Amino acid sequence: MNIIKGSARVLGEEINTDIHCSSKYLPGKDTAYIAQVAFDQLSPGFAKAFKKGDVIVAGKNFGINSSREQAIHIMHVMGVAAIVAPSFGRQFFRNAINNGLPLIECDLAGISAGDAIEVDAAAGRVTVATRNIIKVVPPLPAAVQSLLEAGGLIPFLQLHPDWNIKGAAA
Amino acid sequence: MGHTIAEKILGQHAHGKPAMAGEIVVADVDFSMIHDARAGNALKMIEKLGAGKKDFRLPHVKRTALVLDHYSPPPNMEAANTHVEMREFADRHGSPLYDVGDGICHQVLPEGGHFTCGDLVVGTDTHSTTYGAFNAFGTGVEGTDVSAVMLTGKLWFRVPETIRIELNGALQPGVWAKDVTLTMLGKLGAEGANYRALEYTGSGVTAMAIDDRMTLSNHAAELGAKAALLEADEKTFAWLKAHGAATPKPVQADADAKYVQHIVIDTAQLPPQVARQHHIDDVVGVPEVSNQKIQVALIGTCTNGRLDDIRQAAAILKGKKLAKGVRMIVTPASRAIYLAAMREGLFEILTAAGASVEAAGCGTCVNITGHYIAADKQVVISSANRNFKGRLGNPNSEIWIGSAATVAASALTGQVTDARTVAGGDWRAAA
Repeated sequence: MNIIKGSARVLGEEINTDIHCSSKYLPGKDTAYIAQVAFDQLSPGFAKAFKKGDVIVAGKNFGINSSREQAIHIMHVMGVAAIVAPSFGRQFFRNAINNGLPLIECDLAGISAGDAIEVDAAAGRVTVATRNIIKVVPPLPAAVQSLLEAGGLIPFLQLHPDWNIKGAAA
Repeated sequence: MGHTIAEKILGQHAHGKPAMAGEIVVADVDFSMIHDARAGNALKMIEKLGAGKKDFRLPHVKRTALVLDHYSPPPNMEAANTHVEMREFADRHGSPLYDVGDGICHQVLPEGGHFTCGDLVVGTDTHSTTYGAFNAFGTGVEGTDVSAVMLTGKLWFRVPETIRIELNGALQPGVWAKDVTLTMLGKLGAEGANYRALEYTGSGVTAMAIDDRMTLSNHAAELGAKAALLEADEKTFAWLKAHGAATPKPVQADADAKYVQHIVIDTAQLPPQVARQHHIDDVVGVPEVSNQKIQVALIGTCTNGRLDDIRQAAAILKGKKLAKGVRMIVTPASRAIYLAAMREGLFEILTAAGASVEAAGCGTCVNITGHYIAADKQVVISSANRNFKGRLGNPNSEIWIGSAATVAASALTGQVTDARTVAGGDWRAAA
């Protein structure tokens, strides 16, 4: 997997993406609209100021509860390059992989919006050079990297209808 | 080294031998489910995959049920239109379909005999952990996953580590599996079992009827659990047989299986529990908060809308009236439960007491049908599974969560009430 370099955009803990990044509570509003207002209630202007290639840095349990897949589609429209958080809701984690959005479990408490961040998910290394932070975490499993590299589960299956997935236990 | 139930079921479905926690496996899925709140997403995906391909087929689609339960009955034209798309899809591909009023996915799948012990089942709903009550690995996924299953019959999984929870002793009359899951939420916190499987074991589980066991597995979703597995016993086999399921392939954990955590709960001494407003892990014993007034009482959902829940409520409210100013709605989890409750005269009892009965569906949980909204400052006591601020449509109301027994006893008195202190609160089906 490529190393991802971007600017950090910071969010808090226990963020429910159904509430803050989906149309579940905004019926009739589409993904393009939500991409303009996502996370605004937590951080006013968050989506508007978001630049393609920025990295979301969040607190624990990002994407908790019955996380909708739409959240990932919205983040793709926003241009989210990766997400770094100490832990993710399991459904969100799965949805991100299935839809080709890299994410890694790493606690980066203390960094600020705009800090340059480098995520090497294959090696399990997150670097914030200006703050002398180099964190080593478990890398994403090889099979998960295969799905992400293909751009998600469905693109993967179009390339490998036989599920020939590198790194899966046989 | 020994293996957990999760390691065995996922491994058997992937490579024919037990897997190890942490492994990624590609496993054969026995049955899948998609409901009307997620169908739009999945059906679009399928359309995209098949676009322009003459020989496009979904070889495994007959093992995917479509369930019209969240918008049951549909409150707006978008939902009504989604329902039409789902019916047309089911007609075209031959998938089983459960229509409006048939019931909630987690109730109609087992009632329909669609899986058995040892199976691997996925559904587009976090409470798909319910199937663990029948010794099947059930887990929540999304539309992309079910699309992949319809297409290939397989799905990838990370094999979860397991927390073993031993329940010591049968619950007292008036105390239910919900009080156990709330205890667990108080102990571990919401998402406290994120990425993990749970295995419930011990005499407390053995003593439970199937309805209560389903609550145990269902409400594990609030702990963040990926699955919540019970061992199978004679009660499981009899229930599955009565519902036409295939021959069970029960799976037990090895004595030397490796667990990340062991928890013991003295279920014989457990008092009823409630989660206070907004936070499912803000859990206290009912006796500690019995002066809390309530104005709305709800019984329903995939967590506690089953026949035993309605029987218990009727036992408490038989010949009585709801407290002044309290309104109550009972929503059975399925049409089969609705019919059984009607035949047993339970709706006559509840209606005479002042409650209303609604068509089977998910409305009680998330006010999707618009019938369950509370006024500002009102306090709802509900047998549902979640109580986020505004979950029932009004952020200025409160939702408290308890068992159906606690909800019915509270509806009777107008304040949070320990069912053990009211007549009929000791009802339990004969084992």
